[in-house]
Amino acid sequence: MAKPSEFELVGRVTIGQYLPTASPVHRLDPRAKLVMVVLLIVAVTAGHSLSALGILLLAVLVVLRLARVPVGFALAGLRPMLPFLLILALLQVFTIPQYGATTLWKWGILTVSDRGLLAGILLLARFSTLVLGLSLFSFSTTTTELTHGVEHLLRPLQSLGVPAHEFALMVNIAIRFLPTLAEEAERLMKAQASRGADFGRGQRSFLQRTRQLLPLLVPLFLVSLRRAEELIEAMEARCYLGGKGRTYLIHLQARAADYVAILATAALTALALWMSARNVDAQVWRWITAYL
Amino acid sequence: MFSSGTPLIEVQGLQHIYLQGTPLEVQALRGVDLQIQAGESIGIVGPTGSGKSTLLQHLNGLLRPQGGEVRVGGIALSDPTVDVRAIRQRVGLLFQSPEDQLFERYAGDDVAFGPRNLGLGQEEVRERVRLAMEAVGLPFEYKDRLTAELSQGEKRRLALAGVLALQPQVLVLDEPTAGLDPQGRQELLRTLVQWRAADGRAIVLASHNMEDVAALCDRVYVLVKGQIALHGTPREVFAQPEILMSNGLAVPTVTEVMLMLRQRGYDVSTAVLTDEEAAQEVEGLLHGQTL
Repeated sequence: MAKPSEFELVGRVTIGQYLPTASPVHRLDPRAKLVMVVLLIVAVTAGHSLSALGILLLAVLVVLRLARVPVGFALAGLRPMLPFLLILALLQVFTIPQYGATTLWKWGILTVSDRGLLAGILLLARFSTLVLGLSLFSFSTTTTELTHGVEHLLRPLQSLGVPAHEFALMVNIAIRFLPTLAEEAERLMKAQASRGADFGRGQRSFLQRTRQLLPLLVPLFLVSLRRAEELIEAMEARCYLGGKGRTYLIHLQARAADYVAILATAALTALALWMSARNVDAQVWRWITAYL
Repeated sequence: MFSSGTPLIEVQGLQHIYLQGTPLEVQALRGVDLQIQAGESIGIVGPTGSGKSTLLQHLNGLLRPQGGEVRVGGIALSDPTVDVRAIRQRVGLLFQSPEDQLFERYAGDDVAFGPRNLGLGQEEVRERVRLAMEAVGLPFEYKDRLTAELSQGEKRRLALAGVLALQPQVLVLDEPTAGLDPQGRQELLRTLVQWRAADGRAIVLASHNMEDVAALCDRVYVLVKGQIALHGTPREVFAQPEILMSNGLAVPTVTEVMLMLRQRGYDVSTAVLTDEEAAQEVEGLLHGQTL
């Protein structure tokens, strides 16, 4: 088969898409899912236990399965970020302080220590878990649900002056227009390529590559600004005045399953934090080396 | 140039599936056959989502055939080693709302983008910009105007000049007159007719506007759900309004008027495309009645 088009941007941006598979995960209350995402973020970023991250990643994969999302499709969202992640991971490997660490490999000024290696792997595991978790959330939650969820969760803060509704709307618009922006970028890339433009091919300096992108970026900004203006007009034409006095079409109703899901996630988070506090990794490592 | 027997572009059994292997898979083209000879204008009409844009993007190698074959001047595009830039130079593609793609500060620079990408010298670029701007009816002095300050119609023509500056042999246009006022539309159509008048050139026009197709095209392909549902001269195609209408398409207004007259029992031909032909039919009708 011929190689797919070099311009398929839309197909590559899987994060931010909604996959209507009507699974039990889709039926969860969006507030519950938001809380779960926040818990996941805490567990992934605050902990530094590799075995805990493994458990979290496994949990995310299991829930992906429950949500009837093909794992390959979810992983496709990770692929475009992979080069950056690898570079970041390598930077971690070589720049983490080496004091008191065991050197595994040395070549000139480049030193790989066990600690550096661990930091690199941790970074990869963290990002993969986060991206998969967030993709899972977007696959199973419509933007309307998301907006309502964010707004409901922020409402208690309204008395402190937090503009809950406006914030939720901003989130909604940003996510809503991600695929649109990708589509637009794809169309513009194709239009410029039809005029002989050439994006990121060959060895060129950073400045040259940036210049190469101008035919794409300039129209993309112009189109986005125009779209924003049209959106404002369309909203004002329908008497939008912000959150004050707005009523809601959808009333969220939490069910037992939602509480169970939150509790399960909270338990996992607690476990992950406990595992990194107790340095379970060292124990696991001892087991593994003993077994080998 | 080519002998009249060899098609400039030949599409055989072309298939395309978007997001293949994902839950969002869509089959956009299901075996399309199409031929474009030098000197011809081809119309491609079809409802939204019929695969028109996908088909057009195959004609200059933006998309590669997943199944079937596309040949441009005999070169098979399924061959991964093919020089797509040469193909894109030969087959110029103007996207829908092409004024969105303008990015240079000065109008002339935007037209020069294509020729500069071809690596031409400064004099050659200048000459091509001049020719292209003249071809679309923009004075050469406009090259020093700010792109942002041109009118909508001028921007559309500038974008067309940007493609013509590549000096393609085939011009592929996606809804070129959408959003233009009647005068802008007439000017654009006239530009296209003039451009095609030169030897060996061809036009592919995708449009919802049947008047455009009737005015410009020698042959029409009707694309429905990724397949060619109907094919022939505009006269032949518009004589079968049922297929068009049942797929959310229309026939030119004059053809529709003739159809309505026929439905009411008047003996007129429905194979009319222009105002003049319609006027003749009606005149014949009036004479028939009075005499």
